[in-house]
Amino acid sequence: MQSTLIVKDLEHKYGAIQSLKGVSLEVHENEVVALIGANGAGKTTLLRCISGILKPCGGSITFEDESIYGFPSHKVAKRGIAQVLESRHVFPKLTVMENIQMGAFLRKDKQNIPGEIEGLFEIFPRLKERVWQTAGTLSGGEQQMLVMVRAMISNPKLLILDEPSLGLAPIFIDEIFNIIPRLQQMGSTILLVEQNASMALAVADRGYVMETGKITLTGTGEALLGNDKVRKMYLGEE
Amino acid sequence: MFLQLLVGGIAVGCIYALIGLGYSLIYSASGLMSFVQGEIFMLGAYVAFTIYVGLGIPFLLAVLIAIGFMFAFGMLLERSMISPLLRRGSQQIHIVLATIGLSIFLKNFAMILWGSDVKNFPSSFGENPIKMGPISISPQQIAIVVVTLACMVLLHLFMSRTKLGTSLRAAAQDPMAAGVVGINVPLTVGMAWALAAALSAVAGILLAPIYGVYPKMGAILSTKGFAAAVLGGYGNMYGAIIGGLMFGVVETMAAGYLSSSFKDIISFGVLIVVLFVMPHGILKVKAD
Repeated sequence: MQSTLIVKDLEHKYGAIQSLKGVSLEVHENEVVALIGANGAGKTTLLRCISGILKPCGGSITFEDESIYGFPSHKVAKRGIAQVLESRHVFPKLTVMENIQMGAFLRKDKQNIPGEIEGLFEIFPRLKERVWQTAGTLSGGEQQMLVMVRAMISNPKLLILDEPSLGLAPIFIDEIFNIIPRLQQMGSTILLVEQNASMALAVADRGYVMETGKITLTGTGEALLGNDKVRKMYLGEE
Repeated sequence: MFLQLLVGGIAVGCIYALIGLGYSLIYSASGLMSFVQGEIFMLGAYVAFTIYVGLGIPFLLAVLIAIGFMFAFGMLLERSMISPLLRRGSQQIHIVLATIGLSIFLKNFAMILWGSDVKNFPSSFGENPIKMGPISISPQQIAIVVVTLACMVLLHLFMSRTKLGTSLRAAAQDPMAAGVVGINVPLTVGMAWALAAALSAVAGILLAPIYGVYPKMGAILSTKGFAAAVLGGYGNMYGAIIGGLMFGVVETMAAGYLSSSFKDIISFGVLIVVLFVMPHGILKVKAD
């Protein structure tokens, strides 16, 4: 299988604190990969180093055989990586439609975009009624859907989801996790970071467990779900 | 009398609004305050003067070249001075000081290059006032109002209807998310500084035929443009327009009914009172 994203021995420091201590991870084409771990393990830091929001200080990141290590985020986006940031980040004073159009900022094939937006509204019907509302007036769940549509409309080769269930009502969490396999069927490649380990591993082909800046365990989603340590630490079972 | 003063107030208010818009654009795009807008206003007038009167290039072309030049100047200022300072860890107060320093430099630079005397900038719209019932309006005043209105409509359409303008607003609201969708955020910030400079230059060129062109012409006007932006709600484009017009009308009324030596006391007094009642200005901007 072709490797889309390869992260090798990645390091990052916040001042004197080493937040990533040599992290290696791979995402293959059309795979859903889950990254789980406790709060503060460095999951979001890793994602932000990949998407260029943070600057790593060692290791390598290659995407489709080319280095994207240390790129600014708009250049990473140009390579086809879309990231749904933790805690949503809609453009609050733009309308829902304008938010979605900003997701298509880099696309040159303007004529296809309206049709694709309609297609995404079939997956996220709630947004369709709200296209002219400003995004700041949406509920948390609706905002989460909006940022997912905003990321999808860029036609990404890799979709990165950072804690999509954080702070959402259970009904929205179910909806988000039902959508992930659908996106995979449609051809998406997804890297998913979640504290909700059981749901994330259930939809993932493979998973990584991260602890204090290191990957400590890896395997198929199923294997990790059955792993004693994972069950104890992340699924709350005795 | 009232109508006459109102017309005069609106014309001068347009100038404040154009300068105020610059302050608000810069603040909403980068969260920074620039105190070099008055000198950009002055420089715009000098550049237009030099191209138009000095080189004898037709008025409209000369003005367009001058505005384009100041647009580039604003971009260059952000890219070569503000942005590098921020990368080196400067705080907002250091940026404020840097722009004040630059404004003093530019004032003296203009004095060396063009001299400190007042240059007469001929009006291209004629000198004879137009009578309309009880009021008379100078062609330059009409030009000020029409051009300002056109600038505002164009700016509004650019910001709300074009992809580039929308990306400027998106980057101002959430720079991190803007970068992730592929917007070159540093470039949008530079663009905001460039637009602010172009608007200030337009104001300078519009006012030049009335007061002439001289190195200190921007000093007091930049203060009033800043007051306009604060009055309307700092960082809000539409607020700066309302604030500018209000400021212009109040000060002209004060000068007309009381005395011109009272006008600044009254207009800045109104500013203080409004801020007491509405601390965020007329159109409140939430800090989100």
